[in-house]
Amino acid sequence: MSLRLRLTLRLLLLATVALTLYGCDEEKQTETNSTGFAGLGQDADGFRHAEPNQPLSFPQEHAAHPDYRIEWWYLTANLEDTAGEPVGLQWTLFRQALMPPSERPAPTPWVADQLWMAHMAISQGEQHQVAERFGRSHSQAPLNTPQDSQAGVMISPFYAWLDDWQLKAQESDSSDFSHLTLTAYSGEGASRFGYRLELTAEGPLVLHGEEGFSQKAANGQGSMYYSQPFWRINGEVTINGETKTVSGRGWLDREWSSQLLDARQSGWDWFSIHFDDGHKLMAFQLRGGGNGDSNDADQEQSADYRSGTWITPQGDATPLASDDITLTPLATSTVAGRNVPTQWRLEIPSVGIDINIEAPHANRWMTTSVPYWEGEVVINDRASGESLGEGYLEMTGY
Amino acid sequence: MIRVLSTLLSHYRRHPGQLIMLLLGLWVASALWSGIQAINATARDSYARADALFDTQLDQLERRDGTPFSRAEYHALRQAGLPVSPMLEGEIITQDGTRLTLIGIDPLTLSSDNALAQANTSASLSDFLTPPWQTRVAPDTLAALEIARENASAATPTLADGKTLPPLVLAPALPPDTLIMDIAAAARLLESGDQLTRIVAAPGALAEAPPGLTLTRATTLASPGQLTESFHLNLTALGLLAWVVGLFIVQAALGLALEQRLGMLRTLRVLGVSGRSLVLALSLELFLLGLFGALAGIASGVWLARSLLPDVAATLNSLYGAGVGQELNLPWHYWVGGLAVSLAGLLLAGSGVLWRAARLNMLELGQMQAWRSGYRRQLSLMSIAGALALSSALALYGWLHFQSPGDGLVAGFGLIAALLLASALLLPPFLALVLKVLARLARRRPLIHWALADMQLQLPRLSLAMMALLIALATNLGVGSMVGGFRLTFLDWLDQRLVAPLYLNAPTEQYANIDAWLADRQEVFERLLTRRSDATLQAATTPEGSRSLGTPIELYGITPGESLTPHWPLLATQQDRSSAWAAFSDGAIFINEQLATAENLSPGDRLTLSAPGANETLTIAAIYPDYGNPSGQVLMASPQLAARFDAPPSSMGLVLSDDADVDTLRTALRERFDLGSDALSDQREIKRIATEIFERTFTITRALNVLTLAVAALALLASLLTQARSRRQQLAPLWALGVPRALLAQLNLAQLSGAALATGLLAIPLGIAITWGLVAIINVAAFGWRLPLYLFPGQMAVTLATAVGVALLAAALPTLRFWRASPRALLAEEANQ
Amino acid sequence: MLEFHQVHKTYTTPQGPLNVLDNVSLRLAAGQSLALMGESGSGKSTLLHLAAGLDLPDQGTVSFENQNVASLPEPTRARLRREQLGLVFQQFHLVPSLTVIDNLRLQARLAKRDDADWTNYLIERLGLHGMEKRYPEQLSGGQQQRLAIGRALAPRPPLLLADELTGNLDETTAGEVLELLLSLVRETQCALLIVTHSPQVAAPLDRCLRLSHGNLLEAAP
Repeated sequence: MSLRLRLTLRLLLLATVALTLYGCDEEKQTETNSTGFAGLGQDADGFRHAEPNQPLSFPQEHAAHPDYRIEWWYLTANLEDTAGEPVGLQWTLFRQALMPPSERPAPTPWVADQLWMAHMAISQGEQHQVAERFGRSHSQAPLNTPQDSQAGVMISPFYAWLDDWQLKAQESDSSDFSHLTLTAYSGEGASRFGYRLELTAEGPLVLHGEEGFSQKAANGQGSMYYSQPFWRINGEVTINGETKTVSGRGWLDREWSSQLLDARQSGWDWFSIHFDDGHKLMAFQLRGGGNGDSNDADQEQSADYRSGTWITPQGDATPLASDDITLTPLATSTVAGRNVPTQWRLEIPSVGIDINIEAPHANRWMTTSVPYWEGEVVINDRASGESLGEGYLEMTGY
Repeated sequence: MIRVLSTLLSHYRRHPGQLIMLLLGLWVASALWSGIQAINATARDSYARADALFDTQLDQLERRDGTPFSRAEYHALRQAGLPVSPMLEGEIITQDGTRLTLIGIDPLTLSSDNALAQANTSASLSDFLTPPWQTRVAPDTLAALEIARENASAATPTLADGKTLPPLVLAPALPPDTLIMDIAAAARLLESGDQLTRIVAAPGALAEAPPGLTLTRATTLASPGQLTESFHLNLTALGLLAWVVGLFIVQAALGLALEQRLGMLRTLRVLGVSGRSLVLALSLELFLLGLFGALAGIASGVWLARSLLPDVAATLNSLYGAGVGQELNLPWHYWVGGLAVSLAGLLLAGSGVLWRAARLNMLELGQMQAWRSGYRRQLSLMSIAGALALSSALALYGWLHFQSPGDGLVAGFGLIAALLLASALLLPPFLALVLKVLARLARRRPLIHWALADMQLQLPRLSLAMMALLIALATNLGVGSMVGGFRLTFLDWLDQRLVAPLYLNAPTEQYANIDAWLADRQEVFERLLTRRSDATLQAATTPEGSRSLGTPIELYGITPGESLTPHWPLLATQQDRSSAWAAFSDGAIFINEQLATAENLSPGDRLTLSAPGANETLTIAAIYPDYGNPSGQVLMASPQLAARFDAPPSSMGLVLSDDADVDTLRTALRERFDLGSDALSDQREIKRIATEIFERTFTITRALNVLTLAVAALALLASLLTQARSRRQQLAPLWALGVPRALLAQLNLAQLSGAALATGLLAIPLGIAITWGLVAIINVAAFGWRLPLYLFPGQMAVTLATAVGVALLAAALPTLRFWRASPRALLAEEANQ
Repeated sequence: MLEFHQVHKTYTTPQGPLNVLDNVSLRLAAGQSLALMGESGSGKSTLLHLAAGLDLPDQGTVSFENQNVASLPEPTRARLRREQLGLVFQQFHLVPSLTVIDNLRLQARLAKRDDADWTNYLIERLGLHGMEKRYPEQLSGGQQQRLAIGRALAPRPPLLLADELTGNLDETTAGEVLELLLSLVRETQCALLIVTHSPQVAAPLDRCLRLSHGNLLEAAP
């Protein structure tokens, strides 16, 4: 009984990112190159496509873009408690359109054209707790108060939620996006975990790629992508039933697209880094997509698609070209039965970066319906070994 | 071996009647047994599916005032962090008028180990969630939708209101008559808008109910399987009875077939067939016959079950609200089990035959003499075994005496079984004794003397059939009296409980207004408002001390007005009725018999009841009968219930003055408050429905009873037919001696009806004992209520008449054949001997 | 007292109609004894059955005391058997459910002529003394046949019909039984018709007839 159930949930998760999967066998397919990681490489007929030269306007872009297939509000934070012990956390709200705009059913009660999924994780030392939620909404149904929908995003004031997992403006009467509150809890008693945090933006929004269009494959497809990397965070976290006061830095990604990956791309490695000197760096590589059937390391490297953004402490962004970035896995750890690279070398000659990126704790596996690795990393100068900062690493498709 | 077997079987070529009887007995025994097992298996399968669905696996939230939730409230609960899931439940009507339960779920929030898992198919979840959606349905619901199974997949049946269902997906794990779909699709079909029926949560997911809501834990919701267990035990007991009676036929036929083949067996032994291979051949013969009979029996059993199932389903539904599929659903072990039970029965019935064949004396002569002393020995064995069975019945009775009432369902059945067995075993010695005494008295009346003496001679062959008749008669009388007594009590009780001619069921929030409006109507003499709520019985304080319980119970509030209190039936009070009612008005409680039985409570004990926001300790003033209610109930005055437990109104009885115009009032009420057509019910209507439910409850019992009696009659007929030939040989010389044939025929009938009458007379006290066991032990244990023991002289007369009638019916054919036989045929048989 | 007048009796058999009796006439006066001999299947038993009113002729008349038996209704014929006839069968046909004494008195009781002295005398004469409480199957063959004779004679019938009286008995026993029968017949002065194939049985009787192919011939025993 519960086996079937788990399969169902697994299917559900896949459905949140890929509509046309049938049966459990095909689940494996999502991990092959044919449709990319979790089906993100699928064809997106009927949906709007992310393209360059689409000027972003705020605060509207903080809201959902239901004409695109997928979207997320993705927050990671590197915090420390009063004892100075590092605490990592993640909160993500995913949106997935169940059908292209032209096929939307009438928004009668309960009818959904959008599926929502939220992930949260909190980590300290060897502790790592993960939770997941699902919800539904209709993009055309009136959305005046949060009670109109189980999940959604409103912008005046900003309010993104799935159930009681909420990221919202501190001031209830403004469209201010620089003072937010994040609340999410899960579990009961000794296994309860979650957080209540105040987020204050200490810098501007940063648009990636070409004015917010972030190319994801050599053939030109990509996503709309902006970030708020300058969060100063204060609040409290609860981990395994124990509540601690924390503070630190956070990074919020906003991204929407209808076809994120090339059909042959199998996954990505994504880095967000806070340098102690105030610089920020976003870098990712999408693995595969070239003539990636060769075992030759150089060829493999060249088959991967890399991109990034170098951000000054003032928020000025410089896009980084694929050939400007070299990413080398240095060591892998076995997590959940898979080999995951937990030490990297990142070289970006154009901005003078040659660093080691290391995950102090390898067990940051997200045991969600679509599993992936997401955790804190520390940054050291490759030459001196001097600590340069901290950040978050997300790895999918392993 | 084959040669021996075919020689043995050649006997049946000359005596096809015996073969038919043998197969008939096997057929009847296994048909009734497997029919009942088929019903039980199907019902259990339905319960398992229903259990696995929602009711017993999810906690439920309801608003205290019973009004439905809206979608916004559900979202608010989710946003407050409660892991709840919405559920929409309603009825749809198919084109053939069948009502099906439609359940809309949200798979995204429904707790994991649940319905969706059960109802899951390989299709993807997005198909479930998005248009055109999916209807998940068990194959046995397809008939109501008028769809053939092979066309079921993706079919979109049209409903009575013209709407179409989303494409069907078969989900065998679903309970019958239940459709599951996404809540969005369900909301469209049910036109429920933003309303939802229930809010559910995984068991234990909620620590406590949110303010203003009540939380009903899954564990406190009784599963239909538990409730109906006793019903199925009853069915099984009846099935077993029929099986035993059927085996009597087999026994009779086998015994005769052996007796007539003794010579053949001896010859075979003399010709060098070893005793072992003879027994082996006989066993093989038994097995072959058993296989035929059992297969035919199981086939007919399935047919029988199919024709009884609608009634069973209706009964279980009206009694317990348990849905049972109308289509048989038989697991493989049913078939194997049925076959095994039939063959085991045959082996049991045939073991005597095999034993005798194994000990066959090749040179045995003077059969008659050996037989006479053998029968005497058999009679004394029967007496001893009967006495043993009787003492175990007494021992069981003694044991039950020291148990608290409500325990000992199985022991109760055991007691009845022991009584039946004892009576059956003692019947032949009893009849032999009676015949002996009578024969001695009738020495001067040669024909009567002969008839009695001759009856003694027939007894060994008839005794099994008579035993079967005794059991069937006694059970018939017992069950008949129980049902009759139940009917009297129940109808009486309905009369007492339904004092108002008109009952009103209105939306909860309207009662206050209706009450105010009715207060001004002159024709309304009294308004009896009832309230209902659920609570937990936390503890009971009895003279022996305090016990903590934690039993879920119903709270029921009545208005103890002058029209109600004089009639309301009470079983036990602390002092007397009037002081009980006085205490009731002052805040004491009454409890129903079920609760008193289950928790061993008496008037004067104190109960601690808890409901959200309330915890009260109250004194029991009286116990009242509450037939047909499966759960424990606490009764208190309506205002008390409202004040202490915040219980919403549930109905209102209107006592009218004599000259009131019911129709005018009814119309006025409906128009003034915009009430639906079913909001007002007539007392007569309620009684009619209650009586209908009641009648249906016992349809099966009665049907099985009649069948058992029919089988007993068959057993008797079988015995008579198998010995008809030797009977004629007994009668022919008497005829030659100058007794007219008509007189002989009459004597023949008189002999048998006399024996049947004696059996019937014995069946009467036995039937009364069974009735007593049913009402005083089994009903109390199974349902929690005790019925007064009613005896119906008419029914006893009918029992006697049935006994004689059955005997005459069974004897009619052989007697007619004797009477119509030409003298020459009689003499020819005589000369042929 | 018993008279057959041109009696015909035909049975339908699988092999076609079988003429059992063809124009048979005979007379038996009160107190007279007659042996009827013939091969197996010659119709002896049929003749006896006709005499007892157990069967009716196809043609001709069987009269008892000048009454045509065929014209009597069934109950009257039964009464005739009960009160006027004694029947002794080759297979004895004792009632297994009754004791020796009850078997003996059965017909007398049926005929309402039960006479304790006479039955006691018969018991004595038949050598069944001390066996009254036994059941027929507890007796030897000869004892059973004597009991059958006693049962037939208990009501003192004017006519005794016996069918292969000694067929089931060994020679010595047969002789004893026959002797006993004849002496009792003499005592009661009843007429006697014995069907037999044994010349030894026929010899002591007044007359002897032979049945052959349906015809009756006067014969020497």
